[in-house]
Amino acid sequence: MESPVLPLAAYQLVAAMLFTVGIVGVLVRRSALIIFMSIALMLNAVNLSFVAFSKAHGQMDGQIFVFFVMSVAAAEVAVGLAILVAIFRNRETASVDEVHLLKG
Amino acid sequence: MDLAFLISSAAKVLIVLGFVLLGVPLIVWMERKVIGHMQDRIGPQRVGPFGLLQTIADGIKLFMKEDLVPAGADKVVFIIAPALPVITAFLALSVIPFGDTVTVLGHTIPLQITDVNIAVLWILGTTSMGVYGIVLGGWASNSKYPLLGGLRSSAQMISYELAQGISLVSVILMTGTLSLASIVKQQEHGWFILPQFFGFVIYMICGVAETNRAPFDLAEAETELVAGFHTEFSSMKFALYFLAEYANMMVVSGIAISVWFGGWHGPFLPPVVWFLIKLSLFLFFIVWLRATYPRLRYDQLMAFGWKVLLPLSLLNLAVTAVVLTLAANR
Amino acid sequence: MIEAILFSVFSLGAVGFALNVVFRRNPVHCALHLVGVLLSLSGLFVLLNAQFIAAIQILVYAGAIMVLFLFVVMLLNVRGETPLLTPGAAKGFGFLFALLGFVELLWIVLGSGGGEGGASKPVVVLPPGFGSPVEIGKMLYSTWLFPFEVTSILLLIAVIGAVVLAKRKFV
Repeated sequence: MESPVLPLAAYQLVAAMLFTVGIVGVLVRRSALIIFMSIALMLNAVNLSFVAFSKAHGQMDGQIFVFFVMSVAAAEVAVGLAILVAIFRNRETASVDEVHLLKG
Repeated sequence: MDLAFLISSAAKVLIVLGFVLLGVPLIVWMERKVIGHMQDRIGPQRVGPFGLLQTIADGIKLFMKEDLVPAGADKVVFIIAPALPVITAFLALSVIPFGDTVTVLGHTIPLQITDVNIAVLWILGTTSMGVYGIVLGGWASNSKYPLLGGLRSSAQMISYELAQGISLVSVILMTGTLSLASIVKQQEHGWFILPQFFGFVIYMICGVAETNRAPFDLAEAETELVAGFHTEFSSMKFALYFLAEYANMMVVSGIAISVWFGGWHGPFLPPVVWFLIKLSLFLFFIVWLRATYPRLRYDQLMAFGWKVLLPLSLLNLAVTAVVLTLAANR
Repeated sequence: MIEAILFSVFSLGAVGFALNVVFRRNPVHCALHLVGVLLSLSGLFVLLNAQFIAAIQILVYAGAIMVLFLFVVMLLNVRGETPLLTPGAAKGFGFLFALLGFVELLWIVLGSGGGEGGASKPVVVLPPGFGSPVEIGKMLYSTWLFPFEVTSILLLIAVIGAVVLAKRKFV
């Protein structure tokens, strides 16, 4: 196994760009589904960062952490989408602008 | 990466591609003949000797048909959706070993397109990506029957993936490796069908459900949902879905052969011939299932997958683990 | 050489797909582009010697979680919102904060000597079997056993929660 030919910074830069795109998605879009997807994008950016660091240091703890991040992301998506379905059934809209009050 | 490796890999890819593309018409002919004879009729007999050219004639007919795109359909997704199950089927076929090594011009070439060390995970991953072709095809048609059929079909596929994966894991406990080439090599002195018979039965049922074949084909049955997710697809797109179904049948059979039935092991005959014999027997078995069993209703199908197969596969896994631990401690 | 080509292809793919996720109108298209991001990241993971994580990314994230997303989008028949971006000051602030965040990340990544991968640190030799399922299994069941078990309970809670939340309440 050879050491990274590409510098670690390259992978971190890609992860930073993905994370930023995710932040833009969460802050700018109004549809709850797209916000969920942007959060998933941010989690994936963090996964990339972890795996890159894991290789740079030669320890596999980063990859184990990615494993857990993926499990938690799966749980979050399941529950989040269930909440979205419940809200959509009541309010007929998936836009976070229109469901910002608890009052129905 | 030397030239010999590139040439041999390219040759293997072309051979597998050619085999699937030429084999699928043969399998379709075999299915129509076998089901015909099981239903006490003859099946195709006019086009070519024994009706062998019937599938070619059907292919030409499909090719000449008008290629419709429904109004309001999502054009890009509509065109890409039929290609997805074919792509994933070929990706899964790329790790199945169809023979031992051959020696050509001084180079020993293993008869497997690539020996990935995570082959079983790769196959599980590509079969779970195959769901997209169905669900996107159903949605892109912009029509209610395909959407319902597509959603039902993909829900069925993701449900049966679990029991399929767990039954494969039981074998991996025994072999300690995920690479299909090593799994086949370890069956030199005894096929895994004997210790893992129940795992194989569970896998076979799940495999048939994964390919949407009878008796699990409610989502695409002509009498139920018009034609399910591929209602609106005509001409070559329909032919692609058709091709994908039979290619996936080959994938399921190939994995079952490699993991439980000794892969290419067998006396006297060359290994490739043994693999082909076993593949033909498996395909015949899947066709036989279609001719014999009535369709499962959708709620029966989902209940069966979640309430029967998943607990049974977990039980199989637990028993395998216990037996292996006890045998290791002895 | 090949690694650099593959890295560029996968990174450009990931960022391109990510931009499409955020700026497309149709939610199904966004979900499909997110699948593209996941597959590109899986390729990057293979380049980083994380074969098991790459396979799990395809199996779990692209093969199951995104199918769940697609299901919900299709069942709810969510249309794309119009206008696409919120008008006015809110849009500006969103982009501004994202830009600030990016500048900060850039400063950390590039400022600390290339993220410790620079000339100062010696080149790391990876142990054999790095990233293979065997090594992951060894670590997961020894050092990280407790988080593993807790994650299984978390997933059970998530399953029960999802079923309870999405169930129709028949009166």
